[in-house]
Amino acid sequence: MTNALPPMTEIWVYLSGSPLLALVLTLSAYLLGLSVYEKSQRHPLANPVLIAVIVVAVSITVLNMPYAKYFEGAQFVHFLLGTATVALAIPIYKGFESLRSRMGVLLLALIAGGITSIATAVGVAKLMRVDEALVRGLWAKSVTAPIAMGVAERIHASPTLTAIFAVSTGILGAVLGRFVLNAFGIIPWWQRGFALGVASHGIGTSRAFSVHPQAGTYASLGMGLHGMVGAVLIPWAASFFYTNI
Amino acid sequence: MIEGLVFIFIFQSLGELFSHFIFSLIPGPVIGLIFLLIFLFMRGNVPASIDWVGSSILQHLGLLFIPATVGVVLYLPLLQTHAWGIALALLVSTITTVAVTSLFLKFMASADGEQNHHD
Repeated sequence: MTNALPPMTEIWVYLSGSPLLALVLTLSAYLLGLSVYEKSQRHPLANPVLIAVIVVAVSITVLNMPYAKYFEGAQFVHFLLGTATVALAIPIYKGFESLRSRMGVLLLALIAGGITSIATAVGVAKLMRVDEALVRGLWAKSVTAPIAMGVAERIHASPTLTAIFAVSTGILGAVLGRFVLNAFGIIPWWQRGFALGVASHGIGTSRAFSVHPQAGTYASLGMGLHGMVGAVLIPWAASFFYTNI
Repeated sequence: MIEGLVFIFIFQSLGELFSHFIFSLIPGPVIGLIFLLIFLFMRGNVPASIDWVGSSILQHLGLLFIPATVGVVLYLPLLQTHAWGIALALLVSTITTVAVTSLFLKFMASADGEQNHHD
């Protein structure tokens, strides 16, 4: 009976040659992450992307699969990032239509927040003598990850590091945001939501939505505007600090 | 569904072309985003097919950046060496960004409110 089955190694060699393995791994790790997230009543620390990344990273290490090999298969998922970025126009448009009257105030606050995010992250990292490659990855970390990775390429930073810092920032903002807002006596939902969206993009936005719908709407506008404005201004601003951009 | 997808792909392609040949400082998909936004403003509403496809993709945005983020395995030694510096930078930056953005809104909104009151 056992002779009829091909040896295990042969099955393995066949599977790892096709994109299926990486795709199944990525998608099932994400599903696992989502179910843990739901079970934890959507606690920001149980972020589905964070869980999925840990699961996939551990799996490919255990399977002895080089990252390049994994990415070859997973690139079909990765490709849709650009498509998703274009689709961000939809929530921005809807937000614009309903929040038009406050747009000037929101844009100014966004610029102030965006500059603060870069100045403090890069400043602290430099003070702590963090490696230059990592410091560059911090520039776009408050921008939504798909756009942040595109910006990272433009300023010769690692898109991977930028994505990791973006996800970490999102989680930190979603966990700590309300304590900061309470400490400064920020009460209106629109102000709380917008600040969360600017500082911690998609993860902060889903946190804002789970607290109050108005906070969520403003958070997603904050995220969208920061993505758009950041993509235009961050490479330009970085070109004053780095000569090779 | 296919109609909306083709539509978004076309805007993405236009963005990539524009970014590659004309204005390389801004990533192609962001230019695509700006083009789509202009189109939506000119049209005055979001076509149902684009809305459906766009919302479906954005609902699982997190899934899409898993492949790139798993690249963390290549940076683990570097990240471990600088773990404290990075953690502190992210922490300080996130807290100050929330604080500055919200305080900015608070003061501008109250200044605005007072002006309206006196008018």
